[in-house]
Amino acid sequence: MTTPSPTRQESLGSVRDLPTVTFGHRSLMWWGTLGFMTIEGWSLALIAAMYFYIRQNFLTWPPITIPLPSVTIPTINLVLMVASVVPAWLADRAARRLDVGAVKLWLLISTLMSLPIPILRWYELWSLNVRWDTNAYGSAAWLLVGSHATLLILDVADTVGLTLFYWFKRMPIKAMSDTSDNSFYWYFMVAIWLPVYLIVYVGPYVF
Amino acid sequence: MARGPRCVEHARRASRRVASGILAVAVAGCAGSQNVLDPAGPPNRSVNHLFWAMLIVSSIIWVAVVVAALWALISRRRRTREDLEPVVIVPNERHRREVGIVTGLVGATVVILLLFLVYDFTVGRALAERPSRTLTIELIGHQWWWEVHYIDPDPSKLMVDANELHIPAGEPVQVKLSSQDVIHSFWVPNIIGKRDLIPGYTSSLFLDADKPGVYHAQCAEFCGLEHAKMALPVIVHSRADFTAWLAEARSPAAEPSDSSAAEGKKIFLAGTCSSCHAVTGVEAYGTIGPNLTHIGSRRTIAAGTLPNTRGNLGGWIVDPQSIKPGARMPSNQLAGKDLRNLIDYLETLK
Amino acid sequence: MTNPARRLPPNESAVTEPAALPDATPVTLNEDVLIDDARRLEMTWRDGGGLWGWLTTVDHKVIARRYIITAFLMFIAGGLEAGMMRMQLARPENTFLGPDRYNQIFTTHGTTMMFLFAVPIMTAMGLYFVPLMVGARSIAFPRLNAFGYYTYLMGVIFLYVSLFLNMAPDAGWTAYVPLSGPEYSPGHRVDVWAQLVTFTEIAALAAAVNIIVTTFKMRAPGMSLNRIPLFVWAQLVVAFMIIFAMPAVAIASTLQLASDRAIATHWFNPAEGGDALLWQHIFWFFGHPEVYIIFLPGLGFITPIVETFCRRRVFGYTAIVLSNITTGFFAFGLWVHHMFATPIPELGQSLFTAASMMIAIPTGVQIFCWLVTMFSGRPRLTTAMVLILGFFITFVNGGLTGVMLASVGFDKQVHDTFFVVAHLHYVLLGGAVTPLFAAFYFWFPKVTGRLMNETLGKWQAWLFIIGVNLTFFPMHILGLNGMPRRIYTYLSQTGWGPLNALVSAGAVIIVVSVTLFIVNAAMSWRSGLLAGANPWDSYGLEWATPSPAPSYNFLNTPVVLGRHPLWDTGSPLPVVTGLRTDRREVLVTTTFDAQPDHRHKHPTASIWPLIMALVMAELWIGSIFTPWAVLGGVGLTLLCMLGWGWQSTAETDVERVATEGRIVEAA
Repeated sequence: MTTPSPTRQESLGSVRDLPTVTFGHRSLMWWGTLGFMTIEGWSLALIAAMYFYIRQNFLTWPPITIPLPSVTIPTINLVLMVASVVPAWLADRAARRLDVGAVKLWLLISTLMSLPIPILRWYELWSLNVRWDTNAYGSAAWLLVGSHATLLILDVADTVGLTLFYWFKRMPIKAMSDTSDNSFYWYFMVAIWLPVYLIVYVGPYVF
Repeated sequence: MARGPRCVEHARRASRRVASGILAVAVAGCAGSQNVLDPAGPPNRSVNHLFWAMLIVSSIIWVAVVVAALWALISRRRRTREDLEPVVIVPNERHRREVGIVTGLVGATVVILLLFLVYDFTVGRALAERPSRTLTIELIGHQWWWEVHYIDPDPSKLMVDANELHIPAGEPVQVKLSSQDVIHSFWVPNIIGKRDLIPGYTSSLFLDADKPGVYHAQCAEFCGLEHAKMALPVIVHSRADFTAWLAEARSPAAEPSDSSAAEGKKIFLAGTCSSCHAVTGVEAYGTIGPNLTHIGSRRTIAAGTLPNTRGNLGGWIVDPQSIKPGARMPSNQLAGKDLRNLIDYLETLK
Repeated sequence: MTNPARRLPPNESAVTEPAALPDATPVTLNEDVLIDDARRLEMTWRDGGGLWGWLTTVDHKVIARRYIITAFLMFIAGGLEAGMMRMQLARPENTFLGPDRYNQIFTTHGTTMMFLFAVPIMTAMGLYFVPLMVGARSIAFPRLNAFGYYTYLMGVIFLYVSLFLNMAPDAGWTAYVPLSGPEYSPGHRVDVWAQLVTFTEIAALAAAVNIIVTTFKMRAPGMSLNRIPLFVWAQLVVAFMIIFAMPAVAIASTLQLASDRAIATHWFNPAEGGDALLWQHIFWFFGHPEVYIIFLPGLGFITPIVETFCRRRVFGYTAIVLSNITTGFFAFGLWVHHMFATPIPELGQSLFTAASMMIAIPTGVQIFCWLVTMFSGRPRLTTAMVLILGFFITFVNGGLTGVMLASVGFDKQVHDTFFVVAHLHYVLLGGAVTPLFAAFYFWFPKVTGRLMNETLGKWQAWLFIIGVNLTFFPMHILGLNGMPRRIYTYLSQTGWGPLNALVSAGAVIIVVSVTLFIVNAAMSWRSGLLAGANPWDSYGLEWATPSPAPSYNFLNTPVVLGRHPLWDTGSPLPVVTGLRTDRREVLVTTTFDAQPDHRHKHPTASIWPLIMALVMAELWIGSIFTPWAVLGGVGLTLLCMLGWGWQSTAETDVERVATEGRIVEAA
């Protein structure tokens, strides 16, 4: 159907001169990213709540015969995660400057620093010193750590993909905004891990 | 055109029929042995009062809202032949009045809800009291039957039964509920609201009936294939009758006197029956199925599914799957004399 | 004449005063230019034809229409299942359905209605109309939208293939443990349920994100937050509720129940510290908001319909907005009222009684506002208004029984009985489905360009109202008379036979009514009266564009000066021009005041949403049979992400980039 608008129209101005690429909260993708962060953060909060619910069914925590979780690898991974925020932040800054070369560099470093993290996450799961099918404590701890692990893998893959694209094809300028959002998402990944780490690895020592 | 006398007569008869139908439903709706609205004890009576109060107030509100909507639609309807009337602009004076009306209605809603809340809390507090009681019964849920233990401080006086509950009138009885498999729910509507039987939890229900009679309870939480056929009669005895019943029930099964029953007992012990069913005082210790010590005096079999008659019992023993498909009891190839003798024996287990 | 463009607020600063476009001198637009623009826009925005075009479309209207049709088919399927249940229960000790089949049918009925009909159709109404109502060319994330639909479709196919393979879930739509656990539900039936929930949850979340971002960032200039249509407000609140409620059930079903069943976790196994009640908590934490997710959009339909047919701007806009928000928020604080029969401490239960009663207040506010609107308006009794009357008749009844059920003592009597079945159908059929039918009559002309038949419509409406009340009212009595839920049969000595027969007869009337609706819709689609852009002289922006709306929604972005755009501005329609016609561009505006902020290049058609949905389907369905499918699924997902990303970074145009306080042209 190609008939124009039925009512007569009068223009109050033109938006022709408005920009077409923006960063941060002005961009739609940032809001989409925020939406996914909310969903995922809330999901982890729910799982954490259930972890505490299960706690009530046991006299000791970890339950009798289950050793305390080992904190060595988790702490190393935590430090690595916090450190990896730096190249992510630098990639964000470079993107806002529209500096393709710097974006490529910091994305590459970001990738190299974040690739070990999911690998270490595998060992973190075993650092729990309990299997998911041993008892409800094991099931809860594995799900809490494992859920974050899944999100982590997807986010690292996202970063890897972005890096590969930047290195192997000509990217549109709007991808700078995507790079900025990618860093935003990474900050969230690290920030949301902190409480999980405290609950699962430090908690049993404290309560 | 005048209506013929025949039409009038038909109409009158039809409306009488409708009216009596409604009355019948209404009366039936308020009486019965598995009926919330026919209270057999003080707690349910107070819940009934709460219900009727809420129902009356709710009905008035419902009528008011529907009448208001109808009135608005009818009295304010456009009367012009114009396809579209212009959009109404409400003058400030009128708008202020509307604000007052809506505020008033909202205020009334809040007040009514608060009144409901207070009344409900009063009823709830009374229901939540833990009265002193002399009798504790344990009810354990299984797919799809009820295990009943009458507890006594003297453990040797423990009485185990199944699929039927006896309690005295006029005093609160504590029923402790748990489940061996999935979640069930014990609900005897005439006496009190339901309570779930949840594996891993023990919960308590207090039965307080003051009208002797036979009531019906039914499982009220979906528990699998035969959830529909997991009921049990709840018999409320007068105090004296209950003491007598309990004493009788505690005594061990008597040795069967006539020969056919004795034969039946041999079949019971020799065959597969005793691997699932227990009878006190006899070498049958099975706990997979209901305890049969008092099967002879039960009103129903298969957890309230059939009346306890010879024919039904025979049919159940031979082919439970045709009556309650999925029940854990296998079929038993017994015929003729053997079956009759077995039934004779079971009938002696009163 | 001054250059109008300079009159628009600078796009770098945050504008905080309420929306008011500076006085620009309006310039009437030349008709020929408009026709020319329309042609070019159509070429730019229309997704291709043929099978490929069908599979790759990202037009939100096309996707939403598919959602609505599929969800309506699910309504019919769920209705057929209900019909079978009623046939079985019409007589005591009936043999039409045995226990196993009956249990699968009632489970599928509940699962279909709650997950595959009610939520999808409500979000679909939002996905279709929110962009139109806020004056946007498209929805925020078109490819995500397509992905959401395909995922939902996979779920539909999955459940119904399972039903035909005798593998339908049979533990109720609530799937309580331990019944639904590995020990008491061996086989794959409950796994089908668990994974189905995940399909529908992903689709709902995709829709929710889309609706929120569209509503916040893509509104017409001048449509500040306090001018957003109430339909859109309801959808916005519901979208937030979806984000906080859906994850609970997805975690419970896929990450806990399915894992208890497949890899021996012990979430719900009391023997190893798990907890049977935990399932109920997490399920109902989702489940209670779920019913408000279904019901609130229905309320959102009512306001524009009442306003239009009573020729009056609604009384109490702000009160209605606040009441939607309050309801949405408090819906999360009621869930324990589904668990009053469990051993939860009484004091805790009382809190939930209070909350469950108080939530009636905001809903009451909306009803009072509508009554007042009707009283000072000039009502016209169209089919849609008859259905609104039906809402008052049916829903108010359900709401009142809901208040009764809030009482712990009373609830413990009627919980898990037909009284609750009556209540839930009264509120869902009266509060959601009846307004949904009204919405169909109201917006059908916008979607198809033709009006539905009013005579057939009125018949359908009255039959529906009567049918619903005749079917479900006796169930209150049955519940009070001791009849529990989810039973495949009952003994004749219970005396429940006559009322059950009446219920089953009432169900026939509902079937007739829905059939009439389908006939009306089909006939009207082909040969109904032509509607034109605004047959009802309504006020929303969706009526400012032809019926059906063109692929690009609006020729030029409308400007809004009040809550009732077309009533406030009349003709000619004020617009802003300047979006490109040679590529897909949408206007993004600021969050609070809807000042024009930037132009966003929007995605074209793509096959990746379908492929991604197929990959996810493999993951969720495969994982029932082997946990290794998860690994394969994750791998394929990563590849899909690469493909999707590759397509979306294909074109390198010159753009005007706003960064660090300046605008730069770059490619």
